[in-house]
Amino acid sequence: MTGQNLKIVVAIIITLIIGIGIGYGISLATPTGGGQASSSPTSTGGTTTVTVTKTVTPSTGSRTKVYKIGFTLPLSGELSSVGKMWERVAKMAIDDLNKKVQAYGFNVRFQAVILDDATQDEKALQNVQTFAQQGIKVVIGPAASSQVKAVKSYADSNHIVIISPSSTAPTLAIPNDYIFRTVGSDALQAKVLAALVEHEGVKKVVVFYRNDEYGNAFAEFFKKYFEESGGTAILQSYTTGLSDYSSEVNALAQKVQSSGAEAVVLISFDTDGANILSHAANNPVLSKVRWFSSEGVHGASELLQPSLAKFLISVKFMGTRPQTPHNVLYEQFAKRFKEMTGSDPPVFSENLYDAVMLAGWAILRAGTYDGAAIKDALPKVAAHYYGPSGWTYLDENGDKAFQQYAIWSIKQVNGKYEFSDIGVYQGGAVTLTSQPG
Amino acid sequence: MVNMDAYQALTAVHIALIYAVLAVPLTLSYKTTKIINFVHINFITYGAYAAVLLYTFLGVDNVFVAITAAFIIGGIMGVIDNVAVFEPLSRRGANVVILMIASMGLWIFYKYLMYSVLDVLSRVAKANLVSVLLRFETLPRVVVGGMHVTSAFLTAAITAAALALMLYFILEKTAVGKAIRAIADNPTLAEISGIPRGRVVNVMWFMAGGMAAVGGVLWAIFAIATPEVGDTLILQVFAIAVIGGLTSLSRTALGAFIIAFAENLGMAFLNQVFGVPTSFKPFITFSTLLIVIIAFPPLGAGGGLPYRFLRKRR
Repeated sequence: MTGQNLKIVVAIIITLIIGIGIGYGISLATPTGGGQASSSPTSTGGTTTVTVTKTVTPSTGSRTKVYKIGFTLPLSGELSSVGKMWERVAKMAIDDLNKKVQAYGFNVRFQAVILDDATQDEKALQNVQTFAQQGIKVVIGPAASSQVKAVKSYADSNHIVIISPSSTAPTLAIPNDYIFRTVGSDALQAKVLAALVEHEGVKKVVVFYRNDEYGNAFAEFFKKYFEESGGTAILQSYTTGLSDYSSEVNALAQKVQSSGAEAVVLISFDTDGANILSHAANNPVLSKVRWFSSEGVHGASELLQPSLAKFLISVKFMGTRPQTPHNVLYEQFAKRFKEMTGSDPPVFSENLYDAVMLAGWAILRAGTYDGAAIKDALPKVAAHYYGPSGWTYLDENGDKAFQQYAIWSIKQVNGKYEFSDIGVYQGGAVTLTSQPG
Repeated sequence: MVNMDAYQALTAVHIALIYAVLAVPLTLSYKTTKIINFVHINFITYGAYAAVLLYTFLGVDNVFVAITAAFIIGGIMGVIDNVAVFEPLSRRGANVVILMIASMGLWIFYKYLMYSVLDVLSRVAKANLVSVLLRFETLPRVVVGGMHVTSAFLTAAITAAALALMLYFILEKTAVGKAIRAIADNPTLAEISGIPRGRVVNVMWFMAGGMAAVGGVLWAIFAIATPEVGDTLILQVFAIAVIGGLTSLSRTALGAFIIAFAENLGMAFLNQVFGVPTSFKPFITFSTLLIVIIAFPPLGAGGGLPYRFLRKRR
């Protein structure tokens, strides 16, 4: 029996040491910016809960009012590589927001409650329901359009304001609901991408896209615009959530070869996109045609892996992404993020940052922590806010109205590969300022 | 014109080799201990990340060093699981269901431990470790008859062959291997005849964990490494092991080829001839599984579970 007890004690001690090690590691790695941060991950059957508490020394003796903002982020699952980075953006944004509101003299503090939705529709809904039980009225996220669709009716009927920084499916542009999106709908991005492909003199493409809310809508809009201007677009979808896409890539190669297409247009997220591109790099057919893409793989560090980057440069890979050109605020944001994490901000980081800011100011403007009031205040605040993602003015559907787009590619600078914006879309035309490579 | 069918076939063989390396140890551990082991998922993921972390922090770009390290890490995990969880539970009379649920607990534990550790390491390395494209060029890329055979393919082929030889040698030629087989056949009888069961089972777990981890590396250098890599592969791996009846190692390897070919060549055929969308791939995997199970009763090609249970009861 003593042997048994000894083992249990040893096990507990080991677990504690691991826990302390992780906690110490996090505290070492977290940049300290005014106040103490404590982060405690707990997991229950596939859901990771990360609660972040930020203690700010109160300036005066009066009681500080605390507002909670919920986040449902893809910390695990298909979008986890961006989700993990977004978590850092969210914390950075909450810190900045708190500093800003205090500078304005508000005696309030915003607190982030971050839940993991594992990039799954039903988990996102569960998280929103959890927030509702905790009395949280403003939720940032979820990431994917299919997830936003899943939480929509619950949010509408329970008056929870949902602000997605990255859902771009045109099908979710619905007026008067509780869904807001700090990014433009893909109806326009598809047009920009079509204009880019046309600008490059390509007449026939295969569109290789995710078979989900995002991919289907994007592909259809792309086809519509591309064929309006006289091109031919062949649609080929792929199943999402696979561990590998090599056979899909082979099928794509077959399609490209049999149709005589000159280019592939890739509509993907980041991990799936990187996997597809890495297989294409080894494929004799696909390494001979041009490649274009949406914003999905922008900022994915996998693309900078030398053998893949070489391939992308050789096929003159170009993509579109929502971005406000010549935005000093974005440049500052990207620089800060890179100093903090060592990597470029992944796609939609700036939209997430601005979503947090808008949420905070809308709560203050509403004057009361009530879903309906915040919903009314949000477009008013957004109309007068300019951030790293540009002017956040919202249209009648609650989506970012004036979305501009940049053309991006991979460049080699001083022997290192990096993401680089090489052009803009303005006045209905694509202007390239430099070439990939 | 490039012959794409040949490429499809090459990809199918590549995937089949990796599936075999992943599924054979599952069959080995099941047949020896009767535990439906969900930690197999973590063996795969931790193996893949052994290679990723060695590369990120120590700059190890030799694939065989990474494979050896993964084998040792997977093996140690296997032994720890057995000594800390499975062994004590079975000693207290836990049945297979309890052991399976314990393994599920361990799976979740390992998975989120991995996420937490990667969180810290990502900050230390200032790099995104949650999704990593790992490409080693230890072996050259060769062109055979106009076909580009990648370094990852050669690595998978050589490693799979080496592991198969190692397994054959250990199981057939050594005393430990004979003991493992004896325990698989009849644990009680094996113990009565003086086989040190605990130690032998640990050796088996070391081999099973190590092999699965090596499979993880082979997968990472072919596809992509994420903390979910084991989770996304496990359904296929279980399907393959069931085709092998969870008893026969050689038939499990055969199952790997059946599933990989059905998934890739079968899908490509349906796609080209009938225009079936490639989205149907998982459907094909599991209809293949059903067909094999139904066509070769009682269950799976290896003689099957019900058969073994019935025999035991008699």
